[in-house]
Amino acid sequence: MSRILIIDDDFDFRATCRLFLESAGFDVSDAADPEEGVRKVREEKPDLVILDVLMPSEYEGFEVARRIREELKMGDLPILMLSGVHEIKETPYRFYPDKNYLPVDAFLDKLVPPEVLTRKVREMLGIHREAPEAPL
Amino acid sequence: MKRADILVVGGSAAGLTAAITARRHYPEKNVLIIRKEKQVLIPCGIPYIFGTVGSPEKNLIPDAVLTQHQIDLLVDEVTGIDRENACVSTAGGDTIAYDRLILATGSLPAMPPVPGFDLGNVFPVFKDVLHLREMQETLKGVSDLVVIGGGFIGVEFADECRKSINAKVSIIEMLPHCLMLAYDEEFCVQAEQLLQERGVTPMTGVRVKRLIGKSSVESVELSDGATLPAQAVILGIGAVANVNLAERTGLPIGPTGGIVVDRTMRTPDDRIYACGDCAEKISFFGGRPSPLKLASIATAEARIAAANLFGTRRENIGTVGVWSTAIGGTAFATAGLTEILATRHGYNYVVGAAEAPNRHPGGMPGMHNMKVKLVFEKRTGVLLGGQVRGDAAAGEVINAISACIQRRMTAEDVAMFQTGTHPALTASPVTYQFVNAAEAAIAALR
Repeated sequence: MSRILIIDDDFDFRATCRLFLESAGFDVSDAADPEEGVRKVREEKPDLVILDVLMPSEYEGFEVARRIREELKMGDLPILMLSGVHEIKETPYRFYPDKNYLPVDAFLDKLVPPEVLTRKVREMLGIHREAPEAPL
Repeated sequence: MKRADILVVGGSAAGLTAAITARRHYPEKNVLIIRKEKQVLIPCGIPYIFGTVGSPEKNLIPDAVLTQHQIDLLVDEVTGIDRENACVSTAGGDTIAYDRLILATGSLPAMPPVPGFDLGNVFPVFKDVLHLREMQETLKGVSDLVVIGGGFIGVEFADECRKSINAKVSIIEMLPHCLMLAYDEEFCVQAEQLLQERGVTPMTGVRVKRLIGKSSVESVELSDGATLPAQAVILGIGAVANVNLAERTGLPIGPTGGIVVDRTMRTPDDRIYACGDCAEKISFFGGRPSPLKLASIATAEARIAAANLFGTRRENIGTVGVWSTAIGGTAFATAGLTEILATRHGYNYVVGAAEAPNRHPGGMPGMHNMKVKLVFEKRTGVLLGGQVRGDAAAGEVINAISACIQRRMTAEDVAMFQTGTHPALTASPVTYQFVNAAEAAIAALR
């Protein structure tokens, strides 16, 4: 059973997300702040991380992604960034996975329908390592 | 409930072309565009607002084209799609039923979340008249401008800003050269020399580490430890498919972030099509996912999508990648694969190049040297790509090269290509660069 770690400061979101990911057959744990999140990534070694951006004040999620890659040296751990940052900040631009600037594997906007999230998680767990290095 | 036979979401290059094509192919149907912008900018003209063109208002697609083609327009934002009942809802409170729906929601600028990205005077380039006007006002008072990204957008912005504002302009590019995703090294080096002559400093092989400032940006720290003063930063690092609406409605998203479509531009929902920057693309070469986003690709896809709405008539061959830019009076144009890309795609290849004056004799007015470089697959001799440096004609020569690539012509076919030449317009028939580049490659193919 694949283990998923949710790092998000929103209790309700964590609870809802846990509910439908567990019902989809995943083993789920969660962390409510960036420090706890990094610690659990190191200790629990999940198969995939779902990571928020805005917690608890500003853009800490970006830093968590960098720490997972640089400090913990977990370059292969699939990270799905899931955040309402584009809507909350009303950005006319998008943050996008980038090896140098935003080292995550995918970025979805909250509130994504549960079936879309589950499909994405499955896809990332299934094909992550077989994906082409860079699109041509 | 209001109703449209053909409903197009988005009114820029793809949406507008889709609507016009739908009108041509299905004259009995009514066509409605819903777009959120009051005024639509010409996407490729945006960098030129900051120099040659002078203002956003001079870079607009006129709405007259809609009335001319009897296309209805609603300025509103589509906020939801009810696929079961085939209707959309808008922010303005309308519900509009459709028979066929075309999504042409475009792209949004990509924002790299480097520390300091949210400081003032850090400008992503998005297609909005007010934003661009504000950006233009700010840039007037700037003495040091940093452009992040040395692709087409970055290079064009830097060159145009240098024309209109009295600032030191630098380009930061991660790759070893500017424009390296489109050209081989010799073309990139020439482009960088031209930029330098025109007062733009390309800084390559470095990336931005952080943006520094109190409320507005004051300097940019680079990965090599250097710090550049900057009162404004323009981001030209690319665009991301705007698929929020499609994603919410459960349409699948592909590996480069676009809406999944088949070769007819149809999504898995038989009544919904997608085209342009928001649609997932595959490469003409091998069929892998392609992240290219160009207005010319968008309009080609729109012509396919709209023609197919009530019966399949056209298929997408995949993205060739044809585009041009100009630095001063020198044009750089590219189609298909460079040597670097041919290697990445796994081809064994040979190249041929030819350079000659674009007039004959060379003393004719308007003389400019033009260089053509062609890349051919080694065993079959099939044309894979071409690059051209020269005067404005390079922008059209590359389109002829693109046609040859799309028809999978060989070096022999190109060498026997029947050209028209004229002393005041082209190279001589003896030195015609395109044909001679193929001849040069044939020597290497033997």
